[in-house]
Amino acid sequence: MDPYQNRRWVIILSIIAVSIVMVVRLLYLQVLDDKWADRSEEITHSEKSLKPSRGLIYDRNGVLLVEASQVYDIYVTPDKIGETDTTELCKIFDLTREEFDKKLEKASNYASYKASIFIEGMHKDDYAKISYILPELDGFYEERNTQRGYPEHIAAHVLGYIGIISKEEYDADRNSEEPYYTMNDYIGKSGIELVYEKELRGKRGKVSYLKDRLGNEKEDLYSRSAKAGENLYTTLDVELQKYGELLMHNKVGCIVAIEPSTGEILSMVSAPFYDPELFVGRDFGKKYAKINQEDSLGLKPLINKGIYNDTYRPGSIFKLVQALVGMEEGVIQHNTAFACNKALIGCHNHPSPTSVSIAIQHSCNPYFYQVFKKLIQRGDDPSIFKDSRLGIEKWAAAVKSFGLGVKLETDIPGVKSGLIPDANFYDNEFPSKDKPYGKHSWAFSTIYSNSIGEGEIGVSPLQMANLAAIIANRGFYYTPHLVRKVGENGEKRDIYQKRNYTVVSPEHFEPVVNAMEQVVLNGTAKRAQIEGISVCGKTGTVENKAENINDHSVFIAFAPKDDPKIAVAVYVEYGTWGGTWAAPIASLMIERYLNGQLSEKGKAKEDRVTSTSILYKNQKFK
Amino acid sequence: MSTLRNINVWEKMDKWFLVLYLMLVVMGFSTVYSAGIGEGSESLFDWQTDHGKQFYWILISLFMGLIILLLEGSFIRNISYIVYGVVLFLLIAVLFMPAIKGAHSWFKIGSFTIQPAEFAKVAASLAFARYLSKTGVKIENFSTKRNVFLLLVIPMILIILEPDPGTGLVFLSFIFVMYREGLSGNILIMGLFALIIGVLSVYVASFETVEINNQHYYEMVKSDPELFTKTLEKYGSLAMDELYSKTIFTADEIPEIARPSSFFSNNYWFVIVLLLFSGVGFVIVRTFVLPRYRAKYYPTLIWGTLMAIVFILIINWSYDRVFQDRHRTRFQIQFGLKEDRLGDGYNIYQALSAIGSGEVVGKGYMDGTLSNNKYKHVPEQSTDFIFCSWAEERGFIGSLVLVVVYTFFLLRAIIIAERQRSIFTRIFAYCVSSILFFHFMINLGMVIGLAPVIGIPLPFFSKGGSAILGFSALVFILLRLDAERKDVLR
Repeated sequence: MDPYQNRRWVIILSIIAVSIVMVVRLLYLQVLDDKWADRSEEITHSEKSLKPSRGLIYDRNGVLLVEASQVYDIYVTPDKIGETDTTELCKIFDLTREEFDKKLEKASNYASYKASIFIEGMHKDDYAKISYILPELDGFYEERNTQRGYPEHIAAHVLGYIGIISKEEYDADRNSEEPYYTMNDYIGKSGIELVYEKELRGKRGKVSYLKDRLGNEKEDLYSRSAKAGENLYTTLDVELQKYGELLMHNKVGCIVAIEPSTGEILSMVSAPFYDPELFVGRDFGKKYAKINQEDSLGLKPLINKGIYNDTYRPGSIFKLVQALVGMEEGVIQHNTAFACNKALIGCHNHPSPTSVSIAIQHSCNPYFYQVFKKLIQRGDDPSIFKDSRLGIEKWAAAVKSFGLGVKLETDIPGVKSGLIPDANFYDNEFPSKDKPYGKHSWAFSTIYSNSIGEGEIGVSPLQMANLAAIIANRGFYYTPHLVRKVGENGEKRDIYQKRNYTVVSPEHFEPVVNAMEQVVLNGTAKRAQIEGISVCGKTGTVENKAENINDHSVFIAFAPKDDPKIAVAVYVEYGTWGGTWAAPIASLMIERYLNGQLSEKGKAKEDRVTSTSILYKNQKFK
Repeated sequence: MSTLRNINVWEKMDKWFLVLYLMLVVMGFSTVYSAGIGEGSESLFDWQTDHGKQFYWILISLFMGLIILLLEGSFIRNISYIVYGVVLFLLIAVLFMPAIKGAHSWFKIGSFTIQPAEFAKVAASLAFARYLSKTGVKIENFSTKRNVFLLLVIPMILIILEPDPGTGLVFLSFIFVMYREGLSGNILIMGLFALIIGVLSVYVASFETVEINNQHYYEMVKSDPELFTKTLEKYGSLAMDELYSKTIFTADEIPEIARPSSFFSNNYWFVIVLLLFSGVGFVIVRTFVLPRYRAKYYPTLIWGTLMAIVFILIINWSYDRVFQDRHRTRFQIQFGLKEDRLGDGYNIYQALSAIGSGEVVGKGYMDGTLSNNKYKHVPEQSTDFIFCSWAEERGFIGSLVLVVVYTFFLLRAIIIAERQRSIFTRIFAYCVSSILFFHFMINLGMVIGLAPVIGIPLPFFSKGGSAILGFSALVFILLRLDAERKDVLR
């Protein structure tokens, strides 16, 4: 009757076949193929980090040096910007049309589908004005951030600055064991901000949440609050630092002051300096470029000369080291006399040095020429070349125990080692690395200018101050450092609690200390005298051989003589005699630190120093 | 008399079919509720919410079903053409209504909207069954074919004009019914072959284009450091070689370059394969078919092969010259040759993510993180993509239940059809099964990435008052007709 009734099976089988295909496909999608779970999480889950506030930095007396204030960074995702009128947006963000376009273009160039920074460091008062409208603007959102503030406006070089992480820094962090940073994070760039970055930055918090189609946060799945960074308690003395910067205004050079009994750096002034506030907030790049421009004048405002300029020759202050090493090695006694034979090396007129003390007091060049000669050519070998080689090795080892020619482990980046030449140096690197004289082709006569701190020796101002501290301590030093403790209950690092002894026995220091007292009382540094305080010092005048260029003025000192509280090194480039500028500046620092105020004489000195500017190589002054 | 019959209706009604229908309605409503929840009111009776509206529509549908069950089969049969005429009038009238979402598909009455296209399926089924069941009407006749064609194509064109091409395509499902009623199987087989060859040649052409463009992009990236970093930034640290092998670029990233378009273009080897097949066919015919029958097979083979080649060439030419970049991108995404998560492939990527992440047991009812109304990551998650919500929250087990219930439901309709003495009822039952089968196949195929994205609802699940009303009408008319199967002669 119905010829086609078997066709029902075709249709039934088609339905079953389609259903089986569906089930197989669903089985694959939902059970066998794991990737969809991850992909769905990618769509629905989002994370945002909670930024911790950065630790504060205090001086040794609890005065706040670096504060952290709340600011707001505005981010933009160019792809998500809705249909809001651009003129309207400009009005909201208080930008001109050109500024707006430029910022948006910059963000688009980075990645138009990712959020990137639009306005950096918006003050909280400004933010308050737009906070009510911001959530309604598609594509824009804010993130709270910390901005640095510097209430005292000092010590820029030491404190350093923070800035948005660079590509290199970010990549390096990604490759480290515990990557921490995101693309728009701030990071310490220099100074102790850099050294103590880990402690200062704190611990990031995290919220992971479910988002809707528009990316709105809908439900928190997990959250961990941020942990604020630790506060740093530094060794700096605000008053002394500020005073040092006052004295070094309009000069090129450096002051380093150390507390000898602890190795704590009381102040470190590198001139010219800048206000650390300069690098805060908007237009960082512009300001940086501007200050860097001063570089072209050779003033190097961004460099911390205290630790970085290690090619400073020490000049006559090095005679202190020569005397101490000479006595320790037994080549002279404290009462050894040498005639001031100007045929050997130039000198000025002074009484004949009948002892080490008198030689130091008058800074007698020929005397130390002979001391150095005895140290270098001891007669251990008949060949003067081989003998010099043996001699200089012993000498260099002894000198390095003074922290010279070695890198001090100070907690500031960029510390340099300076140079104490040894046999290897003269064999391979002198007079140049390409064409050295070679082994056994140099002798004392080649290197004698080192005897008076000229020649190849290079010393950083930090090392000079440390030398003063060593003599003040009669033979040992603590590695100079800037941070006493991290956090309220922190402790000082072990390496800063360890005494480092020189090879010289304590008894040899007394004649040198006495001589340094005489230098101030009756010698080249009379300008360093302070009423009622026994200052011990030594001047240095570092030769500039070229014509019409003033010598550098160097002075190291400590005081009081019997219970030293402060050791200072002052280096004034092109300041001529050590006694002219470096000595009075050092004495002002000491007086200010020990007495808290200046005497009448001190004030006169201060006027003389602050009213003079010494910026150029061949500047003539009174 | 009618009271007596109505008591019989409850007793004689097919309980299986009714239960399966109710299961689908309950499953469907629970999904609409979950996908739409969080709009402020969780009450079922709130007119303002989507699920509230859907709830009222379901109540209205059940009430309408009750009324249909009270009607006599002969009455339904008799008003078939009238219903068809009324719906045709509505389909014309709706074209003059203001557009909603760009289509003139709805009559808007207050906050309710009526979509006549949903009732066109019922009307066409009735008219179609009425016409074909007439004594003397044989589908083998040309005039029958022509009349049936007109009967179906008129509403279909009107619906496509709205434009609602998805619903228009549903009328293709009547082919199944015609086949059952005697339409030559060759037409179905030819259609199937055309579909396979067409899909394959589009696939080959798409594949070729993607290859060329990836190669092109690879060269571009190699020579342009900026593009290289941009690409790396976007796709992470994928190595260059991987970049080449992965088909992850969006259309605007790889400006499509002109495909070298020769006569055979890239499908030449496909043509060669086809020729090989027909060669094998010849050999088979020569070897296994008796000489006297061979003459019947040879022309079929030759004409078939020639037509297939011409068909391939036409498609190939259209792919290059008629379709535009955006169409080609659609094809490429459809075949999985390209992923475009943010552009053209967005809908399907979100849908697959929702379904795939349901895994075995699902995320739990109302706990979906993609298709839930709170998050709305899946577009059209209450309508065309509602299966995503079901599959995400109930997992594979839920999906399996849905497919099985649906399959039983469709097969039950066929069982009902085949036990009828009345041809009208049989044809109508096949119409019900075929229409629902087509919806099921295309909608589910679409959301799981097997079929192209064609916007048609999943019956009883997708939100929409007219749809649930129309599908319910099909079900209840069939229930009523079936209940009196013993009382009618033919």
